[in-house]
Amino acid sequence: MEASGAPVLSTPAEHIFEAPVAVTEAGSTLSDEQLYVQYEIRRTVEEIRGGKWKRIALQFPDDMLVDAPRVAENLKKDLKKEKKKTEAANKDATVEGVTASVAKVGIEEEQEVDVARQGEVSRENEEEHMTILGDTSYGACCVDEVAAEHCSAEVVVHYGRSCLSPTARLPVIYVFTTKPLDLDVAVSTFKTTYPDLEEKVVLMADIPFQHHVSELQRKLKDEGYANVFETSILHNPSSPLPNRTVPEEVQSNPEALKDFSVFHISDPPSSLLLTLSSRVSRVHIFPTGNAASARALQTNTSAALRRRYALLTKVATAPIIGILINTLSVKNYMTALQHCQDIIAAAGKKSYTFVVGKLNAAKIANFSEVEGWVVIGCWESSLIESSDFYRPIVTPFELEMAMTDDKERVWGGEWVSDFGALLARDTKKKIEVDGDGSAAIEGEAQAEKEGDDPYADASSDDEPPEFDLRTGKYVSHSRPMGRAKKTSKPATESTAASQPAAAPKPSSSLVQRAKGDIASINGALSPGAEYLRSKRTWQGLGSDYTVEYERDENGKIRGAAMEEGRAGVARGYAVANEKEG
Amino acid sequence: MVNFTVEEIRGLMDNPKNIRNMSVIAHVDHGKSTLTDSLVQRAGIISAKNAGSARFTDTRADEQERGVTIKSTAISLYAHLEDEEDLKDIPIPTEKNEFLVNLIDSPGHVDFSSEVTAALRVTDGALVVVDTIEGVCVQTETVLRQALGERIKPVLVINKVDRALLELQLGKEDLYQNFSRAIESVNVVIATYFDKVLGDVQVYPEKGTVAFGSGLHGWAFTIRQFAVKYAKKFGVDKNKMMERLWGDSFFNPKTKKWTKSSDDGVERAFNQFCLEPIFKIFDVVMKGKKEAAHGLLEKLDIKLVGEEKELEGKPLLKVVMRKFLPAADALLEMMVIHLPSPVTAQKYRVETLYEGPQDDASAIGIRDCDPKGPLMVYVSKMVPTSDKGRFYAFGRVFSGTAKSGIKVRIQGPNYQPGKKDDMFLKSIQRTILMMGRYTDPIEDVPAGNILGLVGIDQFLLKSGTLTTDETAHNMKVMKFSVSPVVQRSVEVKNANDLPKLVEGLKRLSKSDPCVLTYITESGEHVVAGAGELHLEICLKDLEEDHAGIPLRISDPVVQYRESVEGESSMTALSKSPNKHNRIYLTAAPLSEEVSKDIESGKIGPRDDFKARARILADEHGWDVTDARKIWCFGPDTNGANLLVDQTKAVQYLNEIKDSVVSGFQWATKEGPVAEEPMRSVRFNIMDVTLHADAIHRGGGQIIPTARRVLYAATLLANPGLLEPVFLVEIQVPENAMGGIYGVLTRRRGHVFEENQRLGTPLFSVKAYLPVNESFGFNADLRAATSGQAFPTMVFDHWQILQGGSVLDKTSMTGKIVETMRIRKGLKPDVPGYENYYDKL
Repeated sequence: MEASGAPVLSTPAEHIFEAPVAVTEAGSTLSDEQLYVQYEIRRTVEEIRGGKWKRIALQFPDDMLVDAPRVAENLKKDLKKEKKKTEAANKDATVEGVTASVAKVGIEEEQEVDVARQGEVSRENEEEHMTILGDTSYGACCVDEVAAEHCSAEVVVHYGRSCLSPTARLPVIYVFTTKPLDLDVAVSTFKTTYPDLEEKVVLMADIPFQHHVSELQRKLKDEGYANVFETSILHNPSSPLPNRTVPEEVQSNPEALKDFSVFHISDPPSSLLLTLSSRVSRVHIFPTGNAASARALQTNTSAALRRRYALLTKVATAPIIGILINTLSVKNYMTALQHCQDIIAAAGKKSYTFVVGKLNAAKIANFSEVEGWVVIGCWESSLIESSDFYRPIVTPFELEMAMTDDKERVWGGEWVSDFGALLARDTKKKIEVDGDGSAAIEGEAQAEKEGDDPYADASSDDEPPEFDLRTGKYVSHSRPMGRAKKTSKPATESTAASQPAAAPKPSSSLVQRAKGDIASINGALSPGAEYLRSKRTWQGLGSDYTVEYERDENGKIRGAAMEEGRAGVARGYAVANEKEG
Repeated sequence: MVNFTVEEIRGLMDNPKNIRNMSVIAHVDHGKSTLTDSLVQRAGIISAKNAGSARFTDTRADEQERGVTIKSTAISLYAHLEDEEDLKDIPIPTEKNEFLVNLIDSPGHVDFSSEVTAALRVTDGALVVVDTIEGVCVQTETVLRQALGERIKPVLVINKVDRALLELQLGKEDLYQNFSRAIESVNVVIATYFDKVLGDVQVYPEKGTVAFGSGLHGWAFTIRQFAVKYAKKFGVDKNKMMERLWGDSFFNPKTKKWTKSSDDGVERAFNQFCLEPIFKIFDVVMKGKKEAAHGLLEKLDIKLVGEEKELEGKPLLKVVMRKFLPAADALLEMMVIHLPSPVTAQKYRVETLYEGPQDDASAIGIRDCDPKGPLMVYVSKMVPTSDKGRFYAFGRVFSGTAKSGIKVRIQGPNYQPGKKDDMFLKSIQRTILMMGRYTDPIEDVPAGNILGLVGIDQFLLKSGTLTTDETAHNMKVMKFSVSPVVQRSVEVKNANDLPKLVEGLKRLSKSDPCVLTYITESGEHVVAGAGELHLEICLKDLEEDHAGIPLRISDPVVQYRESVEGESSMTALSKSPNKHNRIYLTAAPLSEEVSKDIESGKIGPRDDFKARARILADEHGWDVTDARKIWCFGPDTNGANLLVDQTKAVQYLNEIKDSVVSGFQWATKEGPVAEEPMRSVRFNIMDVTLHADAIHRGGGQIIPTARRVLYAATLLANPGLLEPVFLVEIQVPENAMGGIYGVLTRRRGHVFEENQRLGTPLFSVKAYLPVNESFGFNADLRAATSGQAFPTMVFDHWQILQGGSVLDKTSMTGKIVETMRIRKGLKPDVPGYENYYDKL
């Protein structure tokens, strides 16, 4: 997770054209019963039946794909069985047998249910159609709604551990594929970790172990621990304990959580650790790996937080920031994108938006003009901790921090992983500001007018450089798009009218600006073009920036005759008709 | 009362021929500030009584407290020669008998050498102060070398003569010998750094470029002064007399003959004519009765007033000597006559000052010191104002006239003509005159003067060039003799104070020419300084002044560098992620001389590649074709690692150059061993195979690959760690020598030179001491020698950390690497080259 020594940037030469899949066990090794239990086939069938979904997508993480066909088979078989049962029951009772067992996650609207009821009989007989999906393009923890929509699925069954991010389009059935836990060891470890019976502890577990929590809590109660709170799963990554319920006293006052310690079963994702670090008093991890020791490790996130701080200060002076869309399923990702674009623009920087699928070093390094990246993804996968990337990659929360002025940035406590929570925070702030009304804004303007330092003057002066905290040097042009206060000023009619010539005239040709100015394309400032112009020594055959065509005497562009070029795939091209070596 | 006004000074500024810009430089505690006081006193800024103890130029409270100068301070003085006739002796054209002396007092402690560098840049002459007893010390040599490098003409003052008389009770001949030894050692240094353009700048008492005196008592004399006195008496030419008053020249009072040898016990002329009166005064005043003293005084035409008549012993001596041989007279005379004016100096300094072609408008403006030329100002440092967080930009106008309101181009150290990095337009708000602890606004400042500028501090971190000429290149960036090798990390005690700390770090970084503040990869705020004292002062400033919040400060640590000790055992090969591109590369150590030349700026990325190749080929034995194909320097595009293209006929190579360079900058900034910066490694690109289609050899494929192959080559070339090493000079009496050796050996130091100071019981020991072992060295040494040893430590070089391979975890270096890696949150093991190496 952390900066490991060797970046795996390539696969061995022999499988150049094979997908670099991690080698899994040759075949499915589970017995039928195990399979039945682990993949919760009964519950799945019930929920599918309840939702009356016919087209079902099964999404498996890579390491469970081996079991996928068997799971699908079993589901089909059971669904058939159930169907026969209900048919028999229907014959008995001619009730409109819609049970109350509506799926928990079902977000279908009433109307649809009605429609479903009408066509119920015909649909009842229709056989369920199953589709097995692999990972999403972004991470196994997220539901791949887009892929599911491609096979026009009505529901997604998600297997394996999940980030439980809210989805926007499809209902989801989560199957957490439970894992076994030695409860006795857990209890004894707990006892050594918290010798004080009065200790306020929250029991948490990684999702595959979550079902052990209540039992563990019961056992601990027997041991005399009175203040142990058992969490249960909640679909809310912005809860004080992400995706978990919180003790009652905390619901009204999130600060109360600070009195609690967290006893976490199995290794939590690092974003959870960072989130928790500021919210609870201590976090202990009970390891569940094969080397399960009887000691719970207390985590220390300060080092990790400091590293994040170093990264975000790097982003702070980047003139161009890339926004990576790393999810297409989490609700609000468009709002988050807009939010990121806004804060980047407000800081006078340029943002570009990218969709690249799974991140790797090569993809990031392809855009060397982008000096910092922000990932919009699910709350678990947007935290990327690796030193293999050419440029720093931060989360939206960290971006917000980075774009904060040095004079205001405070770091070392709170860490928010979920952008949903972040957006909520911001709207709250906005409302607060709006509440104060225009008086505050006016006052601000006033302060700016007179309170500004006595040395500042003429507006024609250049923007001063910024101190790059990471290197201790000044960097110029870290805000190529200009400070917010300048850009936000709407050009009034009068100024536009008085100097019409000055307004950049959109034209199809590229305009050479005065030296020292930033390059612009079609009248818009383009730091990317500027980078090409000033930083790259190789600008391609004929620059995009200064297009020079050969012209004939009439000024018409003289084109060359078309020739057939190369064709084919990278492995070997064919030129015209002859094969290239 | 101040006996000159700003208007008067402003009037003098217009006449650059009558300006002397000079700095006072010396080893620590040789009496610069004290001596400066006598000059300040002459200007009427402080009273005569306080001169020598006020230390006017020590403007900070802690400077006064510690009795050590920390910041260099400038002051402008008005001077004129007592005798109009003396004007003729000035070797350079002069117009009237009114001079403006811009004087900068600089710190002597090695840790603050960067302040000296900043002072030297804006001055043309240097007053070198040497302690009679201690003689030329390591820092004297360092600053003198720097001065000569900047083409600054030195004159010498031998200070603390009173101590030699009162404490050591030296005889006349011994004192003479002492003087000539000190002068000789200074001349040895000057001769070593002989510069043809500057000519012979050795100092000679008989030419009047050496003064002898006591800053504390406020007196000094030059041979010239005595020569003037005696010339009339003997009826010989003054210049002839000067020659007779120094060296092997003897006067027999009986025969009234001058001889070249000391026959019949005849006294040396210097002793007889110059020292004798001084010795007499000392003798009479210190031992004799008051009456006798007053008798002598009458003879010497010295009048005491008021309560001065009541004085006795030392205070009386001070008054008498100050009236007899006022230091200010001797020094001002020496400076005015022998130091160059800006007009003279800039003629020969322009080559070393200006980066651009020597025939462009700016260069000509500098050369002619033309107030009507294009404005060229070099800002050499930032001086804090009373307004918190704001600074005066302190510098010198080399060409043109700086006035408030004009719009200037502010060019930072990374500015390159034609590019827009590090270049800003801004109007100057105000120009001011820097007067020690005071400033005075001044309307405009013409070429040749030192000034302070208001309103441009936000655009320059530490130094830079201001100009009005669009085509102007930068003035050369200053190179410091010290590097920030000692660092400590700071942390706020209260997380909400972080913005204050950040702001404080920014200010600290600005306020000192050398200090470096940054955030490490692991997120710590680091302050790096030249030495322990420097850091201590910086952190104190940070905590009390710049940030003003309580801080947690870590123990000092040193920064290591990663390097290689041999050539790569085989050519390293890495393939791009898509396997279609291969880079073959080897690593080899760069010779220490080349690295030093790069670090000192002699070889730089911006040099003309042919000129650079010439230096590399002629002085360092490089192959010329290789030397011409240096792709880049790194890290930060100017570090001491080189990437050399040794490929033959590789297609599309120019297309991937940018990407390889990016990968190189990345890799050299964070080496493979412990993510420390690399130093002194030469990488040779042996061959490259690239995919024929441009999309498959883009940055994404090449940058990570370049980094990997650089790592692989480094790991294959016997990687090592470099640690910084201090040069330590210790002054110690013989009986305490033993203690020194013990302490040094315990700390991995080794002595390489040891010699006795002639005429003193003091030994001077020179040793190399790893910076890592230097923490607490002073205290340790003091304990071991019962406080008799005084060390000076200055960064000298990088040295391979001995004690096994970095790859071997059981060795000492391996352990250091491991702890470093753990501290940074890396895996404890150094990755093997296989992680970066791809099989064909």
